[in-house]
Amino acid sequence: MPYSLRHFSFKAMGSPCELQFYDDSRIQARKRARELILESQRLERKYSRYLEDSFLSQINRSAGASAGISIDEETRKLFDHAETCYHLSDGLFDVTAGILRNAWNFRLPQLPDPARLSDLLALIGFDKLRWQHETLYLAAGMEVDFGGIVKEYAADAVTRLARELGIEHGLVNLGGDFSVIGSKPDSSPWPVGIANPRQPEAMMARINLRDGGLASSGDYERSFVLDGKRYSHILNPKTGWPSSGLRAVSVAANLCTVAGSFATIAMLREEQSALAWLEDSGLPYVYMDSSEEIKGPALQAAAPG
Amino acid sequence: MKTKHSRSLIALSTSALALPGIAHADAPPTESTLSYKISNYQEDDLTRAQVPFGELGRYDIDVHQFQYVSPLGRDFALFIDANHEDMSGASPWFSTANAAGEPVINMSGASGITDARSELSIGTRYYSQNGNFGGAVGYSEENDYRATYVNLSGSRNFNNDLTTVTLGFSHSADDIFPTDAELFNRVRNEDKRATSAAVSLSQVINRVTTFQTALSITEQSGYLSDPYKLQDARPDNKTQIALSNSLRYFFIEADGALQANYRYYRDDFGISSHTLDLSWFQNINRTFQIAPVLRYYSQSAAEFYTNIDDFTKPLTEPQSSDYRLSAFGAFSGGINLIADFGDWTTTFTAERYVANEKYSVYAVNQPSPALVQFVRLSLGVDYSF
Amino acid sequence: MRIIRLTVSALIALAALSSCTQVRPWERGYLAKEEMAWDRDVLERQLNDHIFFSKEASSGGNSAAGGGCGCN
Repeated sequence: MPYSLRHFSFKAMGSPCELQFYDDSRIQARKRARELILESQRLERKYSRYLEDSFLSQINRSAGASAGISIDEETRKLFDHAETCYHLSDGLFDVTAGILRNAWNFRLPQLPDPARLSDLLALIGFDKLRWQHETLYLAAGMEVDFGGIVKEYAADAVTRLARELGIEHGLVNLGGDFSVIGSKPDSSPWPVGIANPRQPEAMMARINLRDGGLASSGDYERSFVLDGKRYSHILNPKTGWPSSGLRAVSVAANLCTVAGSFATIAMLREEQSALAWLEDSGLPYVYMDSSEEIKGPALQAAAPG
Repeated sequence: MKTKHSRSLIALSTSALALPGIAHADAPPTESTLSYKISNYQEDDLTRAQVPFGELGRYDIDVHQFQYVSPLGRDFALFIDANHEDMSGASPWFSTANAAGEPVINMSGASGITDARSELSIGTRYYSQNGNFGGAVGYSEENDYRATYVNLSGSRNFNNDLTTVTLGFSHSADDIFPTDAELFNRVRNEDKRATSAAVSLSQVINRVTTFQTALSITEQSGYLSDPYKLQDARPDNKTQIALSNSLRYFFIEADGALQANYRYYRDDFGISSHTLDLSWFQNINRTFQIAPVLRYYSQSAAEFYTNIDDFTKPLTEPQSSDYRLSAFGAFSGGINLIADFGDWTTTFTAERYVANEKYSVYAVNQPSPALVQFVRLSLGVDYSF
Repeated sequence: MRIIRLTVSALIALAALSSCTQVRPWERGYLAKEEMAWDRDVLERQLNDHIFFSKEASSGGNSAAGGGCGCN
């Protein structure tokens, strides 16, 4: 059986996903792919905001309950990572900020009611979460959303499982968040394309990924223009208004989770602050700024590595 | 990880790595490292007052150290250490009294000693969710000495990785076959064994402070005397314990770290000692760091130490004029200059050590005339790939 | 011996302390710095251990004794 590249496409995390890896048996490849797809679906079933019986939805339904809700180790560690992001972003990355979408309806070019906005802001704040050992007490009206963490974590978890299953050369793609299981058999990197927020079909950049992960955050959809001003769906959890920074950013790091945190935090900052943040990380990145120019140190690295 | 990263990258990587789907809390190295250090060690010449006849020069040693560390599979790491030393010089042979009754030294040999030592050790370590476990075997050889050793150690993390307990064990079997044994009527072939156990506890106190306390016990048996000294006879076993406490404290505004270590030692030859190490690590910028070091040491004398050899005393009774068993104190000061270029790091070290009976906190009844002073220079390179 | 008793009480105190300290995940960045490691430069420590073992009477402390040499 030839040792060749296998492709498996599937849907998870509300996005098109793809596994590519080398295997010498079609049957074995299918079995492995099935395990990996099940793992991504496990995380989706556990943390999806859109599934009523997901664990995340159970957490949100427990808001205001005096007994609180018991949190398992994996979720606890996700909250820990969310807390790291919260502090490193000076409060801009906040997993409790999801309720702001109730004030903004991006399908209509309409600004939110200021009273509604300030009501919602009162229910936002990572430091408002109360813990007693492994029990979380969520105040009434608050909501948690692991967007910006879970998809990237899933890419890393699937990568680790793939290696445990014996896959040596492969690439995981969960809706545009990439993680390398191993470089190609000839040691060459995987070329990955980064979507252009301005033109959905075009590519903003092409990066060669030898190992680690690449995650992107951007203003790809759900924005509107009113009176010549653009309102993106990336909202500042302190003001309730959209942040006016970069249009899109992609970061490469050892782990997709880490890359995703850097990218998401960059998107939440104002442009100058975002660029300083990315520069200080020491990681390769590419971005599209407010004047729609594409720049970044990762662009120069056209050669593999 | 021996690379300097942004604080945000370290913080995010740490919390990401804690996620159960990603990695174990105790992770093996993610990249391979090759390290090399070359050093020159030079002891000060003695004075004519100390050595009325013969060579005044002491040891001059060149040292080469290599280390290779590499991940092995997902959960293991491989460690290879290799050293080579070239030494030349002379050391005290016996001690007599001069006309004033003061101790003076007679140095070994007319032309001195040359010797070379090579050592190789290979080890591996397994990393799991809660700790790690590993060991190494090693072998060293020189003109007159062979040693084979094994060590094992394991660590366990508790309390959300804030507390770590480590247990270690080692055993060494050595063979001594002094050069020119027949000519100088030295022992022909002797052996020596050492077994050691250590336990340590490390604790994170707060976000900038860690503390460690450790206890080790060693039992040596066999031929423990120095075969190159004319009148040296030591007991055929020795038990020693050492207790050390270490602190690491990071000063955020200064962007520097203080490292302090204190060790108390005691053995049944009658020797006790105190060692205090202080080091300040200062970050200058992403590339350059400077770390001055200060060390104070003091030991008491062995029960059977004498600073003038008594050739009428039978060798069945313990006795030695080896300065290393006398009461003295020593100061050493050094500086490390580190340049970090990402994958490459170079370190330059200079150290000056001075031993003197006046520096001792223990009572000095018989000061040794042969206390040592030296300068050590080192240049090291680390490469990660 | 007094030193042993002191160590045991220090260990007990540390064990008790360990339930009190709380270092948040985002705060562990300082502890992960290489200058806060117990052994920042392994070759330097091995060299120093070897030199002081040959020139002084003491050895040991934070690990079981390592290799052997004819220097003591």
